[in-house]
Amino acid sequence: MDTLKTSSMRYSDEVPEGVAPEIVSALAGFAVQWSGGAGAPHPHQDRYPGVLVKREDWLPAISALRDGAGLIWLVDHTAVDYPARRPARFTVVCILMNMATQARLIVKSRVAEGESIASLTGLWHAANWAERETFDMFGIAFEGHPDLTRIFMPEDYDGFPMRRDFPLQGHLRFQD
Amino acid sequence: MATQTADMLEATGSSEGSFLLSSVQAMANWSRKNSVWPLPLGLSCCGIEFMATAMSRYDMARFGMEVARFSPRQADLLLVAGTLTYKMAHVMTRLYDQMAEPKWVIAMGACASSGGMFRSYPVVQGIDEFVPVDFYIPGCPPRPDAVLTCLIELQKKIDKDRSYRLSFSAEKVEGQTPLVEQTQLPGRGEGPAVAMATAGEHFGEDGPQKRAFRGIKPEEVR
Ligand code: SF4
Repeated sequence: MDTLKTSSMRYSDEVPEGVAPEIVSALAGFAVQWSGGAGAPHPHQDRYPGVLVKREDWLPAISALRDGAGLIWLVDHTAVDYPARRPARFTVVCILMNMATQARLIVKSRVAEGESIASLTGLWHAANWAERETFDMFGIAFEGHPDLTRIFMPEDYDGFPMRRDFPLQGHLRFQD
Repeated sequence: MATQTADMLEATGSSEGSFLLSSVQAMANWSRKNSVWPLPLGLSCCGIEFMATAMSRYDMARFGMEVARFSPRQADLLLVAGTLTYKMAHVMTRLYDQMAEPKWVIAMGACASSGGMFRSYPVVQGIDEFVPVDFYIPGCPPRPDAVLTCLIELQKKIDKDRSYRLSFSAEKVEGQTPLVEQTQLPGRGEGPAVAMATAGEHFGEDGPQKRAFRGIKPEEVR
């Protein structure tokens, strides 16, 4: 659990209220930390429950949620950069939804610079372009992605613009 | 109106069976300026304003420019109307390279001229980083009147073109420097245009822009 420990009060071992029991049981085999939820005490916390999984649990945990807890829709898949956080500065985020109950769950995992994380393209084809976007903007590699190339920026673009240390303005310099 | 066109239109003899005395240059300029076929590269909102300019209320056809050509090989004027991204810049340069000489370029609107309000990572800060520009139209978007004014100015510029005169008159004499080298012509006809410079070269090596956008070098940026 060491890698999941955090100094903020956002995460805890307690399951937030309102999380469906099938979600909890689907994640029974994984080391997770919870946040948010209906009764979230922290003003910045989300109304939707969130769960932080280990990087190596990313694919199995989400696979279990999809098949065991009915979270069949990949609503969104992106990343967030916390440049000061070490060792893992990136949080990879995906939002899952149960179409029958309208329950949503935000699944997160932390990735350090240069590390990779499993691709979800085997579970949802919709993850393909989302992961390419995350790769394009943050430089996070997804293992097992069929075509991990830039999707928005030109192929010869240098840098990952959504990283917080990317310059806000200025002139692009192509390296030839 | 002491232009070459006026010279050219000076008819000799009676109106019956009359003929015109002119120079090849004046004739070419006259026909070129009255049939400037634009290749509208409508990239965003300015493209809509260009459409308004072309439509009947403002009626670009009055100036012989109604034939918008969507093939670069049939166009004389590359009218870049909108926000150019770096990904699209390669396309624009290719279009420009495919246009036959003589050709002109207009940067329409704040975005095409300078990046406009989008001073951020994907947007080219002015199309002149990639192609030589004849006219910049200010505005966001420019009013159709501004576009028309620019097109009229372009006609004046075409009318002043002297490339024929220079290329026919400046015969090279052994041991004598011609007045104007063919390659220095101010107008058109100077051979294949090359994309001007990379943005980095354009903005110097020591300016504050230098390290911007060069890539991920966090230790350098911080
Ligand atoms: S200059 Fe203004 S109107 Fe024209 S493309 Fe840019 S934002 Fe749109």
